[in-house]
Amino acid sequence: MRHAPSATGPVPVERLDATRWRIPRDARPGMRVDGIVYADEAMMALLRDDPALEQVANVATLPGIVGASLAMPDVHWGYGFPVGGVAAMRREGGVVSPGGIGFDINCGVRLLRSDLDEPDVRPILGHLADELFRAVPSGVGAHGSRRLSRAELDAVMTRGAAWAVQDGHGWHEDLERTEEHGALAGAEATGVSPRAHERGAPQLGTLGSGNHFLEVQVVDRIEDPEAAEALGLRHGGVTVMIHCGSRGLGHQVCTDHLAAMDRTVARLKIVLPDRQLACAPLGSPEAEAYLAAMAAAANFAWANRQLIAAAVRETFARVFGRSAERLGLHQVYDLSHNIAKFERHFVEGTLEDVCVHRKGATRAFPAGHPDVPAPYRSVGQPVLIPGDMGRASYVAVGAQGAMEATFGSSCHGAGRLMSRHAAIRQLRGVDVARDLARQGIEVRAERRDLLAEEASIAYKDVEAVVRVSAAAGLVRPVARLRPLAVIKG
Amino acid sequence: MPAPNGLGRRHEALPHTADVGLRAEAPDLPALFEEAATALAELAADVPPGAPWVERRVERSATDLEGLAFAWLDELIGLADAAGAAVAATTVEGIEEHGGPDAPWVLRARVRLVAYGPDGARPRVGVKSPTYHALRVEPHDGGWALTAYLDV
Repeated sequence: MRHAPSATGPVPVERLDATRWRIPRDARPGMRVDGIVYADEAMMALLRDDPALEQVANVATLPGIVGASLAMPDVHWGYGFPVGGVAAMRREGGVVSPGGIGFDINCGVRLLRSDLDEPDVRPILGHLADELFRAVPSGVGAHGSRRLSRAELDAVMTRGAAWAVQDGHGWHEDLERTEEHGALAGAEATGVSPRAHERGAPQLGTLGSGNHFLEVQVVDRIEDPEAAEALGLRHGGVTVMIHCGSRGLGHQVCTDHLAAMDRTVARLKIVLPDRQLACAPLGSPEAEAYLAAMAAAANFAWANRQLIAAAVRETFARVFGRSAERLGLHQVYDLSHNIAKFERHFVEGTLEDVCVHRKGATRAFPAGHPDVPAPYRSVGQPVLIPGDMGRASYVAVGAQGAMEATFGSSCHGAGRLMSRHAAIRQLRGVDVARDLARQGIEVRAERRDLLAEEASIAYKDVEAVVRVSAAAGLVRPVARLRPLAVIKG
Repeated sequence: MPAPNGLGRRHEALPHTADVGLRAEAPDLPALFEEAATALAELAADVPPGAPWVERRVERSATDLEGLAFAWLDELIGLADAAGAAVAATTVEGIEEHGGPDAPWVLRARVRLVAYGPDGARPRVGVKSPTYHALRVEPHDGGWALTAYLDV
């Protein structure tokens, strides 16, 4: 294994404009392109002491990287890649790096809208939260309603959300409003290890733990009426947001292939500043095996969110005594924010196929792009941006600036500001659930005593993240969603 | 660093913005890997004394000691997640440098698991994967130290 010598001292950054900062390619040995960080001055002040900037520079050393090593406004310290990192690699001479996708492959967000208003929900909010908490298994060790057979699991990994819809968990229109229609092509279930199968078989339809959540929300501000209408969002309307991924299966796929590529890096004598950036040349057997297994895990995640959405619809129907159809519980969109995909983008003026790594970053294609679902093509792809459980989340749409500057990408959330340990220390003696209840937000969690880890103070303000993304021309904000009830793992 | 658990053995959790880290120290490599497992187990769950357990035998290999630490933590995390259980204790029976040219380091161990449930383990943090980020296994103060960050 060869590692580049580590440089010392802070990473140099120079301001380009109101929302962009450059890490010049001579800032660290081996950088092949600049780093570009999207941030305002306050965000950059916090980032200067964060290892994320070093990680942006590290990603710039990967073979075949084009454009720049990009960091979205919610960037923070990750592993290898920063969370909020975007990197595009040439097919010829480029690499795929599992750490650039992340452990939770196809961690993502799904949003449902409804015909309900806050006054319909408020009187029975506690009951609704209890029922959702019962219906959607959450937390460490949570198991779904049934353990999948090997054949069923293989079908899930091949067909993704379509498997779930065919099995009775959802509507066909959901697939039209899901990135990649809920299934990446090229998935190979055979490339997924027995341990990954073992971890995944009982976990389909479960939320998981950590920062994953299910929220009942209300649209409390419309910023773009035309786009809101296209997305079916209206002021005062109740929505449901689901944030989760591929559970233990996806983590195991990433871990297995990271270890395999660690050996590839040694064999090919690829020089990396961080072992977590282990990678393999695109087109190599190791890269092909990873991309096939990554697609299988991504498809598991889409089926997972499909089952959870079905459980939400059933719960609402039971609680309100009306079918999900009559409640208007339509899916707005489902997107991935941990994934790698081959896409066509302009590189130095020429349209090229590149492998875009988005690790804690969201695809944000603008109006008119053929991959934007037909109902939204006039306004752009929905970009779902979860905030924290005490403030707000956002819906935006992709803008042309993203295609020109970030390989069609934008932020994926608020971004963490402080460690779990620091959040618990700062909130010692504070009952987070009771404080949220005082704000009118019902919270249900497996470990109420651990809610402090996910409290608002642990996160950046999503408003600031959205404001910078919009000012940079990456997205157009559409609507703000305020939490009413939060289900945490 | 907190007080030692045994003769020259100790561990602590390390902060990370989104995830968690751990550092373990011990006089020899088997004790070091056991201590790292203890740190991981304390992060992941509360295990009541006397809870019924099952034991699994494991063997992992890697090209170097950091790789072996990654494989060991991966084994513990994956084993527990697949079983719906928490790691309660480990006994590292040996860490040897022999094996083939691709994986000269070999670890053999026994792992005790306690199932999650009302009478069993109670989950804390969902530890999901090991990482290579800042992963170190190095001589320290006449013994060994291991630093690792984990995805949660």
